This record gives sequence, C-alpha cells and structure tokens, in this order.
Amino acid sequence: MADYDRRRGGGGGYNRNKRRFRDDDEGDSDRRGPRRRYDYQPLHLKARKQLLSLAESPLQRGHEEVQALAQLVADNYADSEDLKITFLDLVPRLAIEQPLKTPFVAGVLHILNTIEPDIVGDVLTRIATRTEEKIDAGEWRDVKCCLKLLASIQPCLKDDGVFPILEELFNRAGELQATSSDDTIGTELVKIILLTIPYIMASSPGQFHQQASDLMEKTDIIASEPHNLLALIDPYPPAGSEGSLSVSALGLIQKQLQAEASNGWPLACLPKPWVMPQEETEQREKLENAPKHDLPSISIPETVPNGPRPLFPEVYFSVYADEDVESVPPMSDIASSLIRDSLLDTINILDFNRNVTARYLIDIDCYFADGTFVKRATPFDRLRDVEPGRSTWKPEDVAVDTVFCQLFQLPAPEHKLVYYHSALTEACKIAPAAIAPSLGRAIRYLYRNTYRMDLELSYRFIDWFSHHLSNFGFTWKWTEWVDDVQLPELHPCKAFILGALDKEIRLSFAQRIKGTLPPQYQSLIGPEKEKESPDFKFRDDKTPFAVEGREIATLLKKKAPDEEIEPVIERIHTQALEHNLNPLVASTDVFVTCVCFIGSKSLSHVLACIERTKDRLLNIGAASELARAQIISAVAAFWRHHPGIGVSIVEKLLNYSILTPQSVVHWALTATSTVSQSGFAGSLPGDALAAPHIFEIVFATVLKVTGRVRQVVINPSSAADAAPPSADGAPMDPEQLRTSEIAAMRDLFRVMNDALVSWASATKDEMMETGDSVSEDRDGLVQKWAARWLRVFQRRSAIEESWLLEADKHENLGEMTT
Amino acid sequence: MAGFRNTVERLDKPTDPIPPPQQNRRRNRRDQDEEPEEKPQPENDPLANATTLYVGNLSFYTTEEQVYELFSKCGEIKRLVMGLDRFHKTPCGFCFVEYYTHQDALDCMKYIGGTKLDERVIRTDLDPGFEEGRQYGRGKSGGQVRDEYREDYDEGRGGLGRAYQERERERERERRERERDEEEGYRRER
Repeated sequence: MADYDRRRGGGGGYNRNKRRFRDDDEGDSDRRGPRRRYDYQPLHLKARKQLLSLAESPLQRGHEEVQALAQLVADNYADSEDLKITFLDLVPRLAIEQPLKTPFVAGVLHILNTIEPDIVGDVLTRIATRTEEKIDAGEWRDVKCCLKLLASIQPCLKDDGVFPILEELFNRAGELQATSSDDTIGTELVKIILLTIPYIMASSPGQFHQQASDLMEKTDIIASEPHNLLALIDPYPPAGSEGSLSVSALGLIQKQLQAEASNGWPLACLPKPWVMPQEETEQREKLENAPKHDLPSISIPETVPNGPRPLFPEVYFSVYADEDVESVPPMSDIASSLIRDSLLDTINILDFNRNVTARYLIDIDCYFADGTFVKRATPFDRLRDVEPGRSTWKPEDVAVDTVFCQLFQLPAPEHKLVYYHSALTEACKIAPAAIAPSLGRAIRYLYRNTYRMDLELSYRFIDWFSHHLSNFGFTWKWTEWVDDVQLPELHPCKAFILGALDKEIRLSFAQRIKGTLPPQYQSLIGPEKEKESPDFKFRDDKTPFAVEGREIATLLKKKAPDEEIEPVIERIHTQALEHNLNPLVASTDVFVTCVCFIGSKSLSHVLACIERTKDRLLNIGAASELARAQIISAVAAFWRHHPGIGVSIVEKLLNYSILTPQSVVHWALTATSTVSQSGFAGSLPGDALAAPHIFEIVFATVLKVTGRVRQVVINPSSAADAAPPSADGAPMDPEQLRTSEIAAMRDLFRVMNDALVSWASATKDEMMETGDSVSEDRDGLVQKWAARWLRVFQRRSAIEESWLLEADKHENLGEMTT
Repeated sequence: MAGFRNTVERLDKPTDPIPPPQQNRRRNRRDQDEEPEEKPQPENDPLANATTLYVGNLSFYTTEEQVYELFSKCGEIKRLVMGLDRFHKTPCGFCFVEYYTHQDALDCMKYIGGTKLDERVIRTDLDPGFEEGRQYGRGKSGGQVRDEYREDYDEGRGGLGRAYQERERERERERRERERDEEEGYRRER
C-alpha cells in the first residue's frame, strides 16, 4: 500500500528507480538476481509502515495491533528524531487521506496516552493546527476528517472536549442560514457537526448525552428543513401526482442520530480498538485513569470561506433500497450514514490511486466493528439463511452502493465520472466473484427505474454500463431483457438498450458487439453498421445532384482549390432554383456530404478536409439558420448509422465556429419538414428526444457554452486577448465580451426552454394533427421525454446563474483569483 | 508544504526514467536508509504542464474513433495523432492524445491508463508534446521496437515480433536447405 511495503520485499533497497520492476505488491522476485536481504529497518520507517497499514489485515486483532504500535512509538519517540517527525506528520495526514483508519489511529493515541501522554499533547497541537488551516481554506471534508479524529480521542481531552468547537461551528451555520435560505455552507457545517457527534459518543460511552442532545436540538431546525435546492438535484424527480420519494441525506442523519440517542448510543458499527478485552484489567484501568489534555484552541473566522468546490445539498441514493432482504443498512439505521460517509470520503480523497480505492471497497469490513457485515462474497440468495439477529449486510453491496451514489450525484460528483467507472472496474478485477453479482443487481435496479430517473442520470447510466462492459469482454445477460426489444423506440427501456449498444459499438465495433447478443437483438444492429464506411449517396444516379456530388468529391480528393469547386456549386444553385428548391440548402447538402465522404476514413481525415474547406464552410455557416441546420443534417445523415462520429464532427464544427450552439440546439429540438434529422434519430417527430446521442450532442454543446462563460468571467482579459478582434480590427473589450457571452448563454437556455416546453405541453403542430390512440400513447411518451429534458437544462441554467451570482459577490469583495 | 508526500502512491506521475547502470546504484547504497523524499522536480520540468499523453499497447486495429470515445471521458481532445508504421503508414499500436488542459491529462493517467480499450489493457504516460516525426515507429522494420523481438503471439499486434518472425523464417529456410542437402546426399550415396 505505502510505497515502502513493496520496496522492502526486493533486496532491501529504497531506490525509487527500482520501482518500475515491481508491478505487484508481493513483488519480491528481483529480476536482477538474488541479493542479500536486510531485516533491519529504521524505526521510523517501521512505525510509518505499521501506522499506514493499521487494520488492513483481517487476521490482526484491532487492540493488539494498536498496542504494539503505541509501544513502538512510546519507546523511541524521545530518542529518534526521525520517528518523532514521521509520527507527528503522519497522524493528521492519515486522518485526512484515509479516514476509514481514523478509529484505529485514535486507538493508538488512546494507548499512547497511558504510556507517554506528552506525545498525545504534541499530536493534538498538530491536529489542531491542521484543522485550523483547513477551516481557513474552506476544505470542509478535511475539517470533518480532523474533527473525526479529535472526537475519537475525546476521552483524552479535558472538560467537554470537542463539543465547544461543534457549538461554534453551529453558531456560524445558524448565522449563514438566517441570512439566506439558499446557503449551502451552513448546511455543510451542520452535516460535519452531526457526523462528528457519533465518534464522540463511541469513544466516550455513557457520557456527554446531555451535550449531544442539546446540540442536536439546535441542528434539527436546519437539518430537517428540506433545502431549497433539493428539488433541483433530486435523482427521481416527482412526476405528476407522485411526490418525490427522495430523502435529504442531512435530514436522514439527524433522524438516525435521534433514534440512536434514544437507544443510549450503541453505535454498533463503529470499531472501538481502544476497548480492551476483559482479561486485560491492567490496561483497562490505565485507560480509565489516563491524563486529560486541553484541546489547543481552534479559531473559526467570523465569515467562513466557501472553499474550492461549490456545495450542494445531498440526497440519499441507494440502488439496493427495494430488496426483500436487507443487503445494505436500512435508512433508519445510523450505520447507513456512517459507513457511507467514511467510504465516500475515502473514494473521493483517493482519486489519485483507483487501485487503492478498489482495495478499500473490497476490504470495507476490516474498518468497521466485527459483525457489521456478513462474510464477504455471501451470495444474495443466502442472506435469507442468516440467523435472525445477525447482520445481513453484504460488504460488496455497501461498497457498490457508495460508488453509485457518486455516479448518480447531481449536479456532479467531485471527480470526473470516469473515475468512478474505473474504481468499479478495479474492484471487479480484484474480486469478481464478490462484486459482479452486486453490480448485476444494481444494473437491474437502475434499468427498472430509468424511466423515472433524471435524464442526465439515465445518460450516465448508459455511459457507465457500456464502458464497464468494455472492460469485461462485453458480457451481459441480455436475455433477461429480451421482451423489451419489441418495445417502441420511445420507451425508456428500449432507449437504454439502443443507447448502450451504440456506445458499446463505439468502444469496439459492430460485429464484435453483435457476437455478444442473443438472436432477438441481432436486428438492432443493421448491416450498415458493419460497413467500413457509409455509402456515398451520389454514387446512385437517382439521387438529385448525383453528378455534381461526384464531381465535388473528386475535386476535394485532389485537394483542388476552391475556385474549381465554385462552378459546380453554381450549377447546383441553378438547378435547385429550377426545381423550386432553396439553392444554398441544396448545395450545402452536396458539399458537406462530400466533405464527410472524403473524410470518412478517420476523424483525422475529416478534420483535415474541414480545415482545407474551412473558408467555404464558414461562409455557409454565416449565411443563414437554414444553411447551418443543413450542415448538421448532412453530417447526421451521412453518419446516421454511426451517430458517435456524427456527434464528434458536429463538436469540431462548433469549435471552428462554423456552427453556432444555437443552431445545434435548434436542429436537435425542433424537427420540422425542412430540417430533417435524416434518420439520425428515428423517423418521427419527437423521436430525437429519446435518442441518447441527441442528448449527448446537446449536452456537450451546452457544456461548451457554459464552460466558455466561466472562463470569460474568471479571466476576462485573457479571454478577450484570445478572441478574434472585431470587424474594425480593434481588440475585444473584456467587459463587452463578458456581457455578450453571458447574454448568448442565457439566450441558448431560453431557446431550449421554449422548444422543450412546447414538446412537453403537447403544443407541437405535429402532435396536434394526429388523433388515433396509438399516436396518443406516442404523444404521452414524447411529452414525458420533453419534461425530463426540460428539467436537466433548467437545472444547468440555474446552476450557471448561481455560479455567476457567486462570482459577482467575490468580485465585489475583490477576492477573485484565477 | 515542504516534503509533502501522500500516504498512497499517485498514479498521475510520469513513469520513472530508465534506471541508471548498476554501479551508480551501488554508490547510492548508503543513502538507502534515508527516507526517500519525493525527488524535487527539476526547475523546468518538461512534464509540469504536459497536456499530451503517449498511449501504448493499442491493437493495430484500434481506430481513432475508438480512442476518441474512451479518452473524451477525461475531457475534450484537442488533437489525436495515431502512431504509424514508418514504411506502410498503417497503425502500429500507439498514439498521442492531446488535451486542452494539464488537469485532463493527469486525470487520464489516473482514470484511463491501465484500463481496457478494444479489450486490451492500455498504457498511458505523460509526454512533453507531439513533434513531427514522432508518429512513426522506431523499430527496424517500421513498427515499434517492442514488436521486433516479441516472442509471444499477439493477435492485435501482428502476431509474433517481426524480427523474431524473420529469424524464424530464416531458420526454417536453413532447416529445409539442410534437409534437402541431406536428402541429396542420401540419394547420392544410394
């Protein structure tokens, strides 16, 4: 785990360079042949190693491990400066980086306090300093981790120990909440308070009941009131008469703690390695009579900082909530929040090493009290056989559930989604027999509920599912959804299947994916998808402008100058006018189709072709909304069997400013007779709303726009320098740029809103015209899709507006940095 | 924070350079008991702001589109350069992926390096940046050096190593010649 372990094995060297030879933790086979082994290890490294690996081995008994390390430190602290430095540095660092081990680190400190109390004094000073630093930086998770360690050594502290800090934090929270109901720091502080209390109560059994209950009485008002923003981030938005079933994570902790208090604070899931077995009477006595320390002062500034990450309230999300046997702690049990909190922090802190994260996911049972979980890899069906009164919680389910709560967190989890994908992949690699069945049950749950899920999350589900399968040979039991193949394309389950297959193909190729599917699914992957590159429609003489199309293709292939292309375009214009067609639309279709065809070999080819014809494309794009729409239509039509490539090309055209964000959104959300989506997403109006790649393209477009706005707001002058100068050659004025970018973003959201509202409220002409019952079903489905779309982009808009508001505040305070 | 070191190894560090020769290592023996601090990065570390990744162990059949699909999960791709055989100008199992930001490249190291693409575990490494010419394999036969002497059969990378295949063919030829000579000798003797 720590980089020392692996090195110790091989020849006793600590040379960094040797690391490349050892890819596994057990790597003690040195390829350069055997060398003398050193058993000697400097004390501080020994202590470091023992501290870092606390509780990792399921074979070690918690209290013995803790005692041994405490003894080692106590014996050498005074003599070895190295050991002292290492220990004082590592304790707070471990608390912040590996919070699952905090109770065990606390255990060491409990014992140390009976041998060399001064060391505990030194440690307290360090932790207090660190806590203060983290408060000043607004690193609230780190603050929570520090307080957790302090709470776990509450018996080593004088008087009320940690409670006064919690009280002060609450005062800040109260003030913040009183000022604004949208405040999120106040609720975060309350969360920290509530998650610290159980660690105090677990380390000081039978004490502080009054202090805890007083504090919880105060937090109740803030914790139990649903936050204003909660509706915005609900993974299962209420539809129609159904109310939201989602529960605020904060409100839940408050309730669970109250229940725990009324039972006398058993906190059964928390490990208590400082509790010595009955026979160790001497040590037990020492612990009871150990000296107590003053907690060094930790000052909290009057205005608490926001921190680097925007905060949002959280919803308690579980994919195992509706099982008939409890495979995860129920929402009524404080264990559900405590285990999740520690594991969640671990996952998000250790994003820089997903292998270690995965290890923790698998080893979760090592870090909680014995009996909290059933044995690892117990099959779900066997949970029924567990004796009554014993836990039926599967460690794998708890681990997987925690990763999913991040994957499905709105508006966004801390890290890129792909991190959570990779953590699950590694966990599955370490313990496939244990993890894979849990994932399977999670997938089934998500599939069943995709229809009522926030649309952004449905899309994340497709993305994760296909990516995950790509790491495991694309094997999935597709047979269980065989009946759903017949569903209409607008059905959410069918949309999931189609979307997932398309994404799988993008990561692999059609033939390969077809080979993983049962016969019933074969028709979903047509022969066109298996072709190397799509047909060129102008090869067929029956296609209008076939001659001109072939001519332009030849010219493009020869890299002929634009002057040679122009006459052909002119001919198309003349003919189009004769046939009463829009000339520019006709020539754009021919030209863009040819660009796609010439570039069909790879993205590099099409990019090179776009680069060469950039000027003409820019002119087309600048000509009219119809022309821009036709550019997209031509790309979409050419790549209709490989929508992923179409999406990539459209994104590149946006980067070149050949297309505008508005044109993409307009094209995707308003299918009219002139702007056809050309089989890119179904054939009927409204089909596009169910197509994941349409969502993908619109979502990516919106992200480009909002990302740009943030960039311009954070750093207006450098954005202005990078922007093309205005027509008269004058450089862009930063303030003007900022205003115009924000206005463009708002405009985009308004356009989307208008289009989606008209779909959602069924005022689309196309939907009004038909009246039979089949299409009424259809209309109902389209409306539901539109409503889901609407929610996603209303949220995005709200998030950006609040970000702008926040940015303005900071600017006024002169705090804005890059 | 001086001497900051994580309690867990980071995956977004560049691969260590090739180890120094044996003697140098021996000279360092005395230092081994010292706590090995994170080596201070040289002043102008070419990777300090790297936005490019070298991606290795691709199948020869993996397409740009597949690379895009996977690597876009860490951020928008600015440029993708496929590694080509110097002579045949066909993919030879590596590429350069360039992002717009350093953070995206680091995230890619952490979240994508070592996972599968096209059912192969791929390798990523921070790279100072693509330069013309680097898209070609540097092996004698045009592909990557590692594919010259590979003795394992790798279907996605052209079977056995090329030089190895060449050597095997050479041996086969020799064996046939020998057999023919022997046969002829036998005939002559008869």
